[in-house]
Amino acid sequence: MSVNTAIVNQHLDEALSSPLFRKADRQARFLRYVVDAALQSPETTIKEFDIAVAVYDRRADYDPRTDPIVRVEAARLRARLREYYELTPPESVRIDIPKGQYVPRFVPVGHGHAPAVSDLSILVPPFRSLSPDPDDQNFCDGVTEEVVHKLAQDHRIRVITQSAAAWLEQREKPKPRYVLEASIRRVGAEIRLTLHLMELTGGGSTRLSNIYQATTNNIFATQERLAEEIRRDLSAALHTDNAGSECIH
Amino acid sequence: MDSNTIRYLQESVARLPVGDLAPVNEFYRRLFELAPEAQPMFKTEMDLQAKKFSDMLAWVIEHLERPHELCQELRALGARHTGYGVKIDQYAPVGSALIWMFRRTLGDRFTPEMEEAWLEFYAFASFELERGSREAAA
Repeated sequence: MSVNTAIVNQHLDEALSSPLFRKADRQARFLRYVVDAALQSPETTIKEFDIAVAVYDRRADYDPRTDPIVRVEAARLRARLREYYELTPPESVRIDIPKGQYVPRFVPVGHGHAPAVSDLSILVPPFRSLSPDPDDQNFCDGVTEEVVHKLAQDHRIRVITQSAAAWLEQREKPKPRYVLEASIRRVGAEIRLTLHLMELTGGGSTRLSNIYQATTNNIFATQERLAEEIRRDLSAALHTDNAGSECIH
Repeated sequence: MDSNTIRYLQESVARLPVGDLAPVNEFYRRLFELAPEAQPMFKTEMDLQAKKFSDMLAWVIEHLERPHELCQELRALGARHTGYGVKIDQYAPVGSALIWMFRRTLGDRFTPEMEEAWLEFYAFASFELERGSREAAA
């Protein structure tokens, strides 16, 4: 899918004229620099060095190991964009700068397109053990960690852990759209994990309900296998497996 | 911020030499190299300033799991920054100097995961400072 340059530019102008960007001169320049580069050449690679020189007035001997200003600013810019989109939901396109790179993605939003990242927010409280053995709760905690880790690899999903939920509460962010709850029962070496994915908006309907079986013979391998099965089922339930094809560059 | 991020923040600070202000002094030295215009904003004598920064770092680490108190304190600090004339762009060299301080002091014991945790925390903290500053100016 080819990018509509005029729509992206119009969206960029609107974002940069908002109060959040008006006084953040360098971050506005950072955003415009990477967006311009991506629009001019969709296959472009943007290096930390390029941004340091073009936006932060660093010289040709700039060394990112001793001056990580671009990495600092990239993290702050991602936070500013998140805040901007939460205050001003985009109508046509949103600009994402995925972690680990500086080339932005232009993600169409609105009817018929993949949901915006914030629409796929999932609260993941610690999975519960229904047995009195404290080791079983440790096993549950391990599965929770694995699931959070695997879901977090998908940039379209915003995973919110219990501690993160407390943070969001303070920052008055929108509530997560989904909650993922699971409990584990164990008899001998056999484990049964019951999982529910519920939509918190629109009446609280259950989007996914599954039972997974495993054994405790190899704890780490079992935790990872359960987490992978859960991730796969969640992706299918949320229709994110093919959503990447909606992204345009 | 997830529990891993909090753990990496705690571990990186725990690896700094206990009771030694040398890393913080290096932080300020680096900050003033990167942003000489920031130096006149620090009116306090630098040893005392380093002690204040070190105490604040310890306080932040203690309060990572108490976000309400942490946010309130950061916003209050941001409000005070308004009076010092701090601009949004000036938060960038502070973050750079902070990461540099850990890298210089800890070497390879400052892992990429720790750097990622500090980048995430600093993005959050500087945003709260900015929010406090905006609210004070309104």
